[in-house]
Amino acid sequence: MNGTVSITGMGILCAIGNNRQEVLDALLRKESGIGPMQYLTSVHTDIPVGEIKLSTGEMMQALGITSDVPVSRTSVMGALAVREALEQAGIRDVTGKRVALISGTTVGVMDVNEQLVQNPPQGNDCGRSTNEIAQFTGLSGAKCCTICTACSSALNAIMLGAEMLRNDEVDLVIAGGSEPLSRYHLNGFNTLMILDRERCRPFDDTRAGLNLGEGAAFVVLEKDAPNAMAYVQGYANRCDAFHQTATSPTGEGAFLAMTEALKQAGIGPEKIDYINAHGTGTPDNDASESAAFQRVFGPNMPPMSSTKSYTGHTTSAAGSVETVICLLAMQNGFVPASLGWSHPIPGGVVPSQGCTGVDLEYVMCNSFGFGGNDSSLILAKNKPGARECQLADEGKVVIASSCIIDNDEQLPELKEYLSPMETRRMGKMMKACLLSAFDALKEAGLERPDAIIAATAKGMLETSTQFLEEIIANNEELLKPTLFMQSTHNTIASAIAIRTGCHGYNITYSQGEESARWAIRDAKMLLRKGEARTVLVCAFDEELPTDGTHRYQAQSTLYTLRNE
Amino acid sequence: MEELINNLKLQIIDALNLEEMTPDQIDNDAPLFGEGLGLDSIDALELIVILDKHYGIKLKSPAEGKTVFKSINCIADYIEKNRTK
Repeated sequence: MNGTVSITGMGILCAIGNNRQEVLDALLRKESGIGPMQYLTSVHTDIPVGEIKLSTGEMMQALGITSDVPVSRTSVMGALAVREALEQAGIRDVTGKRVALISGTTVGVMDVNEQLVQNPPQGNDCGRSTNEIAQFTGLSGAKCCTICTACSSALNAIMLGAEMLRNDEVDLVIAGGSEPLSRYHLNGFNTLMILDRERCRPFDDTRAGLNLGEGAAFVVLEKDAPNAMAYVQGYANRCDAFHQTATSPTGEGAFLAMTEALKQAGIGPEKIDYINAHGTGTPDNDASESAAFQRVFGPNMPPMSSTKSYTGHTTSAAGSVETVICLLAMQNGFVPASLGWSHPIPGGVVPSQGCTGVDLEYVMCNSFGFGGNDSSLILAKNKPGARECQLADEGKVVIASSCIIDNDEQLPELKEYLSPMETRRMGKMMKACLLSAFDALKEAGLERPDAIIAATAKGMLETSTQFLEEIIANNEELLKPTLFMQSTHNTIASAIAIRTGCHGYNITYSQGEESARWAIRDAKMLLRKGEARTVLVCAFDEELPTDGTHRYQAQSTLYTLRNE
Repeated sequence: MEELINNLKLQIIDALNLEEMTPDQIDNDAPLFGEGLGLDSIDALELIVILDKHYGIKLKSPAEGKTVFKSINCIADYIEKNRTK
């Protein structure tokens, strides 16, 4: 593995603009895009949101698409951003090139499912939205991959793209994420009581929650390209392994992600010129991220801001939306202001009020997700020295143990590992996954793996179906947070991390029947690079057939390197 | 009050999936969070839904719930004073 990863194009749509130029202008004018709902239909009209100022129909028109069936907003937003990125990179024809399109999303096709009140499809085939983006942008021959690590999905997509280029698996990568607003996750976040009824105030002492936003952003990545606008210098994915929806007070996952990204980039913390924080504006996140910043940077905190008071929290797309904002800041020499901030958190970090005429050589972008999926990316303006990495032979990767759980009779065995208090909220899918993971680890004589990877075509089908049915039946009122908190695709990988105390690499793939193949590819790479000695891969899916049964299967496999 | 407390416990057992518990196993004065029953932040949100759904009481934030949710007796007192249904 070697070479430098160049960024040659970027495309973006979010609440403050439908393209790069509009987004740049709004950032420089310090104009927020958060306001009352115009396009999303919900009873919660008092919740401000950051919407893209285009209807799905207008986006389809811009792409020249017609359809008799509803098209996911995820796909059309994503396609517009991919198209802008490819144009900037000067790529018109990809014939003969090995191309990967990697997208982060969690809403996936849920925005369409939730409109079908009668018999909505079960589960959420996130991979379908990525396939559609490829189809709408002339990339039908591309390898499509979808990452679902909640709010860090798009940042992990960019990292995977960089890894595939460095390993010479592809010639061209388009990576990022797309997340529209949906009634589903607006209600989900509402049950968690973390939505501010006013504009969010990241890192402010009076902060009272986040505003949801929608966004799509993609970057074009190529190896050693002459037309590079910036470089991907370092990155890391770590896990807080603390709680499904809460962050640890010490910011452990965030601390580990930033520290490892700096190490990979080969630079000290003092080199960072600007940090685009995750900074959602929730009391929890900002306190935890603040603690992590103080651990990494000490008293020498570089200029830092959260741009979520402009765009809203674009959840799964936040990583790429904010990477593009970082690139715009580097190109135009400014630090985006932390809009709406005025009261410092006692003993906390102070965000930047913005400045222009600065030179940003190294920029850090943070994205943290539910379940503690924490990632950090470092961009460089100038070409870094090539990093070499020796890979172990693929033939050395072996399976240490494997375990399948697929029926109700096995589930009581979970009592061997967890108390009734710990399992009380878990559905059968979650129980089956945890039991298969514990059994596989036990068989291999291991307490915890170094990394955890999950693969699923349709995610947490039973809980997400129940939550959607509740939204419809109760008209968006009195919904259960317990259902929402375990309805995202990354629930399983995070739950295994929490229960085994694994702070290492943690990711979830959802690309239809290809999901497990992507997971195994990643497990092998981690082992061959020497970044992990043991990797647990958990593949799971479930169905609820009309006969009232519940079919499910979880398979956990522990991969390791053969000792010579 | 006794009836209210019993109903409340049944609602809590149901909403919080405390499947293996019966109302008399929950001490009226014991702390619900941390050392006592061991509930967490998601449970606090579920308790807020119970207050809204069964008693017509709307809490604005989990922080407001902190004093209310100290024990079963505290919740019952709060319900008596503030219920709208």
